[in-house]
Amino acid sequence: MLQIKNLHASISSDSGAKEILKGLSLEVNAGEVHAIMGPNGTGKSTLAAVLTGKEGYDITEGTVEFEGKNLMDLSPEERAQQGLFLAFQYPVEIPGVSNANFLKAAVNEIRKSKGMDNIPPNEFLKLMREKMELVEMSKDFISRFVNHGYSGGEKKRNEIFQMAMLDPKLAILDETDSGLDIDALRIVANGVNKLRTKENAFVVITHYQRLLDYIIPDFVHVMYDGKIVKSGDKDLALELEEKGYDWIKELSNVEI
Amino acid sequence: MSDLISILQENLPKIQDENQKASLQNAIQLGVPSMKNEEWKYTYYNKILQQGFKPVLVADQHVNMFKMMGSLTVEKEFIDEYSVSENRIVFVNGVFHSELSSFINHPQINLWNTNNVSENITSDFLLELNNAFASDGIFLEIGDHVVVNDLIEIFYIHTKSSDIIQLKNKIIVGKNSQVKLAEYYINYDEAPAYLNIVTEMQVAENAHTELYKIQDGGKVFNITDNTFVKQDKSSVCTVNTISLTGGITRNILQFDVNGERAETHMNGLYLLENEEHVDNRTLVNHNVANCESNELYKGILGGKSTGVFNGKIVVKQAAQKTNAFQSNRNLLLSNDANIYTKPQLEIFADDVKCSHGATSSQIEDSELFYLQARGIGKEVARGLLVYAFAAEVVENIKNELLRNKLQERIAELLKIEL
Ligand SMILES: Nc1ncnc2c1ncn2[C@@H]1O[C@H](COP(=O)(O)OP(=O)(O)OP(=O)(O)O)[C@@H](O)[C@H]1O
Ligand SMILES: [Mg+2]
Repeated sequence: MLQIKNLHASISSDSGAKEILKGLSLEVNAGEVHAIMGPNGTGKSTLAAVLTGKEGYDITEGTVEFEGKNLMDLSPEERAQQGLFLAFQYPVEIPGVSNANFLKAAVNEIRKSKGMDNIPPNEFLKLMREKMELVEMSKDFISRFVNHGYSGGEKKRNEIFQMAMLDPKLAILDETDSGLDIDALRIVANGVNKLRTKENAFVVITHYQRLLDYIIPDFVHVMYDGKIVKSGDKDLALELEEKGYDWIKELSNVEI
Repeated sequence: MSDLISILQENLPKIQDENQKASLQNAIQLGVPSMKNEEWKYTYYNKILQQGFKPVLVADQHVNMFKMMGSLTVEKEFIDEYSVSENRIVFVNGVFHSELSSFINHPQINLWNTNNVSENITSDFLLELNNAFASDGIFLEIGDHVVVNDLIEIFYIHTKSSDIIQLKNKIIVGKNSQVKLAEYYINYDEAPAYLNIVTEMQVAENAHTELYKIQDGGKVFNITDNTFVKQDKSSVCTVNTISLTGGITRNILQFDVNGERAETHMNGLYLLENEEHVDNRTLVNHNVANCESNELYKGILGGKSTGVFNGKIVVKQAAQKTNAFQSNRNLLLSNDANIYTKPQLEIFADDVKCSHGATSSQIEDSELFYLQARGIGKEVARGLLVYAFAAEVVENIKNELLRNKLQERIAELLKIEL
């Protein structure tokens, strides 16, 4: 589904270009859940941003294919329309746009890209209700503005709700667990598990092994200094929890 | 000497009425507003006149009227597009049109169409021009203790005319009465039109009025709107000025708050693109104590459009415990759009709460990206964000039917579906 080969990406800042991704490779197939862990500032969110097409990054080397297409040729909206979804680490507040209007626009734009008509209003409402239940979100949120004035946890829950509404092929969850209380964590994880199928895939970025007790990954990758330096199964997450990142850092130094 | 002034001089001998004559003489004296005048610094009045508009005396105007009368299907279509009520007063090219109008019968509501000349001599060219030439207008008198639930709609419909269409309205709302009025400014041809209109409103003790100005006349419709409101004690008056499409538009909105515990609300939206130009000038005179005024104007400026906002609040010495708030916020969608905004506070009392603020911003990239990341194309995403910016003003519109209509219309203009 997703093939990232030797990806180098830099960000242009006032002090010139700064390379953040330094030769990252990753392959994700349908039906798989991948976890990416790693210290702060190693480029996890940058990877998510580059994949979803955020402006301001230069891809200097490498390739990214999504369902056989060169992802980098597509606009952010086209990527989403093809089935790529990012649950943002920091969801954006959009005062003035209600969740209902926002998601109706998203659903209809995605349908339009597939040559389908707009979703009938009652079908849309039904879908909203159903998916809200999945993440145990209160109905008030239908008419509330997108993320505006939500608590940290509510914002994260809203990301998963949006994911459920749009039913993507590949979802990247960037620290969706941080800021969630214990109950919310379980609810969100259950939501994700219910959405798992043989056809879709998840990349879960997290700092905590705890989430992976609920969403059991097929692969765990450790990212450090712009690339994946170690991959393993779910036990790797336990090992990291126990030993921290120092041994990983040494590992990468040796490699360089 | 400008063409307009010479036309005015030619008309002078034709005018019989003494007040009208005095007004015309005064207009000639005052001269056409120029950009050297501080109040006209950003609005080039001659740009309207250059399109060939001329003032025409009532007598000459009716001849034109009959020429254009034919089937009324187009007018009806435009009315239906907006109308949410059965109380309707329609002017076509400045003349009351009884066939298109309908109005509730109520012993305490009196309606005349009139062109009564105001006896006030002013120092304003457009007011004097209106005094001398106004062809028609409404005189609406609502008695005491009358609650009118349905919106009263006034349509100013224009079609091919090189006349400066001039109307004069007077609205009197009695004690404890409640009324909601909506004015629709419509021009249905590609041919330019120009309306110079004056409205005086008196809001008596404890009366509640809402006035909606819906300016959606297309890009060749020019308006100079002059609205003057006098408020008595404990009255509440809200004026919503919604400028959606137009050529050059200038809205003067002035309040004299003469009774204690009165509330004044001004709510404005201007949605501009291409070369559109809207100049909003508001003035609230707080003449007495314990009153409140609230003002929110929001502008969206695209293309090479120009917005002007000048909001003045005067708090007289007697007006202690005044609360006056003003905010003008602008969203600039293009580098070629211009906004000139100027709050003016003149406070002569010491125990008052006044605040004002003006901002201009652009669409946030992070918001745009968030929408795109959900599959929403850039154009629709921008439309949604602009709509969101406007929403605050639209949400302030209390009349639900009208609010829904406006939401639909704004969505249509922004090419989004809701
Ligand atoms: N606009 C920018 N200008 C300069 N540096 C930036 C910019 N954006 C990100 N960076 C840098 O890129 C690096 C990677 O950031 P990124 O957000 O991808 O890290 P992360 O792995 O997601 O960290 P965390 O675990 O804290 O979320 C950081 O050192 C960060 O400071
Ligand atoms: Mg991050």
